[in-house]
Amino acid sequence: MIVAEGLVKEFRRYERGPGLRGSLAGLFTRRHQIVRAVAGVSFRIPAGTKVAYVGANGAGKSTTIKLLTGIMRPTAGRCLVDGREPYRERRATATVIGAVFGHRSQLWWDLPVGDSFRILRRVYDIPDPVYRHNMARFRELLDLDALGTTPVRQLSLGQRMRAEVAASLLHDPAVVFLDEPTIGLDLTLKEAVRALINQVNAELGTTVMLTSHDIGDIGSICDQVLVVNEGAVVHQGSMADLLRTADTRTVVFDHGADRPVAGALALLETGLPGVRAVPDGPGRIRVDFPVPRWSVRQVMAFVLEHFDVTECFAPEPDLETVLRRVYATRATVATGGSG
Amino acid sequence: MTAPAVAARRTGAGLRRYLPYVTSGLQGLLQYRITFLVSGITAAVTAGLLAYLWREVFAARDTVAGFDLAGITTYVVLAQVLALLQNNRVDEGVSAEISRGDIAAVLIRPVSYPVSKFFASLPVSVANAVVVGVPVLGLYTLLLPLAAPTWSGLALFGPALVGSVLIAYAVNMLVGLAGFVSTNVWGLRTIKDSAVALLAGQLVPLAVMPEPMAAVARLLPFHGMVDSPLRLLLGRYSGAGEAVGILAVQLGWAVALLLAVAVVWRLAVRRLEVQGG
Repeated sequence: MIVAEGLVKEFRRYERGPGLRGSLAGLFTRRHQIVRAVAGVSFRIPAGTKVAYVGANGAGKSTTIKLLTGIMRPTAGRCLVDGREPYRERRATATVIGAVFGHRSQLWWDLPVGDSFRILRRVYDIPDPVYRHNMARFRELLDLDALGTTPVRQLSLGQRMRAEVAASLLHDPAVVFLDEPTIGLDLTLKEAVRALINQVNAELGTTVMLTSHDIGDIGSICDQVLVVNEGAVVHQGSMADLLRTADTRTVVFDHGADRPVAGALALLETGLPGVRAVPDGPGRIRVDFPVPRWSVRQVMAFVLEHFDVTECFAPEPDLETVLRRVYATRATVATGGSG
Repeated sequence: MTAPAVAARRTGAGLRRYLPYVTSGLQGLLQYRITFLVSGITAAVTAGLLAYLWREVFAARDTVAGFDLAGITTYVVLAQVLALLQNNRVDEGVSAEISRGDIAAVLIRPVSYPVSKFFASLPVSVANAVVVGVPVLGLYTLLLPLAAPTWSGLALFGPALVGSVLIAYAVNMLVGLAGFVSTNVWGLRTIKDSAVALLAGQLVPLAVMPEPMAAVARLLPFHGMVDSPLRLLLGRYSGAGEAVGILAVQLGWAVALLLAVAVVWRLAVRRLEVQGG
């Protein structure tokens, strides 16, 4: 559904010296620097996939989305969305995609939300049954009626974002690009937006491409993760695959509080060389251990054997930690499992 | 279905996509009622000032460049009404959307940006003309002696009005698109406003201008906005041939400027770098 082949986007950034003198000099000579926002990105996203496009600030995520939505054209390489090059056939592509740019409104600023939807219905030529069905869905999940007839410019960020997400899905797009779709939303509404996206994907097979700094969004929506770093893809695979690349796992357990902590820690670190044991509140110990040297099963077996355990669990590796490590290693394109 | 019928249907469906831009443009405008009042006062004061200036001029003579007092008064009042019709705010809106980067959100719609802007500007023009222009015209009809137009003048004025609206849209769109190269479109807009006020014949008809200036004005497209339609309305031409000539030059400029908009837009969107993420 979405294909990127050696996608490159470079910007010219004009340089100016510091201060007034620099600005004056800038009137006569303009030096520029070529900035590579997207450096040869290649990936393939099958129809119906919900993929998270993850990367640190400045990794080229938003630029890639703008290339895929046809807003900008690449400096080199190409991309296909639903079989079309979006920047060549922008209007044809626009009929089958939806997009939310979290920090920009695509609603009609001076009009109530309801009017924006009526306009979009005409602009996309949405058949009546589809329009009614989708509006009913949005009303139920996002409580759109609560927005009333207030013009969009007077809505709070959270109120506006609900309408933005709904607007992007109104015409049953084949692909929806969500650039930070839950900024400004409280927990309940975040849940609602995630549920809506999942429901639409399950019913219509909509392909979802999400960028977010909210790990919760990624975890509860996406089944695939594309990690970009410095403009290139460093990991593509399932969420589980990505988490499996973690080089440290943790086992946490509660033990009888009467036991001296120092002795317990020493026992763990000598019995399991290479692990780091730290107290984690009264009667609770956290054991961080390197994988694949130790496995969760081995560590748990050791703990159960030597301690009077009341509670014992191994939390899933933390996505943020995993990502930090992935960014740091700066690997060349690594493929992790299914494409 | 025959091929032309299919094509016609497709064009119909294509244009239907733009109709909501007309209503939304009007709705957006109606949110700001106070602007009507402000532009009404501006137009009324300007027209009044010019009309009374001409009264002083005519105290000493009977005609100026073929205009009598009623003729020139009609000209300056109608020029203000036309200015209202051409105040479509396309330059302001487009440059703002470019500099804020909101153009990204506009480009994900399956419509042409310049065409949608044209449709959105229509209600702004019409509302300005009807809500503000007609009362101002009515006021001065009561206060001052105006020249009544002839039927043939009215018939020629119709198409010329269309041409003037198209030129005004194209000029404002080009100024707005300058936002792609400069962040200071405000300065350019000020220059454009002065150029239009002078060279379109908004303040004085081209016939009254000193010859070098009139020559420059005739070479530029702006005179199609005010001077040409009012020349036709007030019958200031000799013979049908000249009338058709005026109309042809004006519509020619309209087509040329619209083509320029299309070309500039294509080039601009090709090298678009959305500001700020």
